[in-house]
Amino acid sequence: MSFRIGATVLIDHNGNAIQSYGFKEKRILGDLQKVLKFLDAYEVDEIHAIVPFKGKGDSGSSKIFSHLSEISISTPLSIGGGITERNIEKITKDPFFERCIFNSAIFNNPELLQKTKSIMGHQSMVASIPFIIDDNLKIYHSKTNSFQAIKDELWKEIESNFNEVLLLDANAEGNKKGFNFQVFKYIKFPIDRILISGGLTKCDINKARKMGLAGVSIDNFALHSEYSIEALR
Amino acid sequence: MVSIIDVGLGNVRSIEHWLDRSNLFYKRVPEVESVTDDVIIIPGVSSAGEYMRRLKERGLDKEIIDRSRQGQKIIGICLGFQILTDYSEEDGGIECLGILKGSTKYIDGHKTHNGWDAFHLDARKFSENLHIKKKQKKIVSGRVYFNHELRVELECSHASQLDNGITSFSIQDNIFGFQFHPEKSQKSGQELLELII
Repeated sequence: MSFRIGATVLIDHNGNAIQSYGFKEKRILGDLQKVLKFLDAYEVDEIHAIVPFKGKGDSGSSKIFSHLSEISISTPLSIGGGITERNIEKITKDPFFERCIFNSAIFNNPELLQKTKSIMGHQSMVASIPFIIDDNLKIYHSKTNSFQAIKDELWKEIESNFNEVLLLDANAEGNKKGFNFQVFKYIKFPIDRILISGGLTKCDINKARKMGLAGVSIDNFALHSEYSIEALR
Repeated sequence: MVSIIDVGLGNVRSIEHWLDRSNLFYKRVPEVESVTDDVIIIPGVSSAGEYMRRLKERGLDKEIIDRSRQGQKIIGICLGFQILTDYSEEDGGIECLGILKGSTKYIDGHKTHNGWDAFHLDARKFSENLHIKKKQKKIVSGRVYFNHELRVELECSHASQLDNGITSFSIQDNIFGFQFHPEKSQKSGQELLELII
């Protein structure tokens, strides 16, 4: 199976594509449709379209996903952010995407995860794990909007419920600092099912490929002139 | 006209986008009464148990089987390909349509197969198959997108396999099965569409 080079597209509540910097600052990049069409034309291997949110759920996400469904692209699409018990049936009723991305608020919601699996299949399940390393590994908890230490038992839950994990280096997001590979000292999940994102440089991508990771997901800033997906292949 | 089976599951919209790009007309088929003599596409992205349950509930299972026997072109994509076989291990074991002799099993070690693999179809090898369009461009070669955890094992030689033993596609007269998602396979998927519909 080939190593995948995908792109992450963050979407704000008005349906614009945005760039996030270090999990703090955000900047609007423009019309979502244009951004997705652009990535489609680039023939990136996949697109992760995520609505970043805080808290347990977000009713606004359904509207954004509905808007996404009108966009015609021929690139594999994963969507995430704000998938809850309230909107899962609506979202998956007529899916225009192949995979669902869940954040930490959902990791211990077996009912929702099982429901999604029965509709979409296990292969569609992706866990998004934004992290920082601060003496130890801390992952983002959307409920509390904070980074917290991860318990060993959670890795078992993640492995049984998710097919792949998208590890996002929150400190490096939106820049070219380089991805913090120290994270792999703490990860208890099969390496060939891990995608990484945040601060990726060309060296990082080569390293990820050599390590046998499933792939990488390039930040939105790939859409600017400083980066070319083609050059990263 | 292309009929897309729509039982409220599967990535029907992606299939519509795929057909749109080649300027093909299509309609959704949610019940037996809407089935016509057009090409039938059974989409992917779901699980075998739930999909078969909904097909049976609507009587679409028998309709598809009857029409396949009458020579109507049927195209199964991903799960749509898997349920063309006799049986699937998914959801504890599911009896499927039995249009293709064979079964659908979990990939060894319950691994999944996500990503891109090479694809090559030389239409000249199917010159006697009247269901493949006689186009000037006879070879589609490129890469295609897979996203599945079960694989089809067929009791015939009309199938193309990847190096890892996964059946990539099968063409048997009027029955076309693709394990990958041609509708999400960019240029190769579009070229394939123009050869088969």
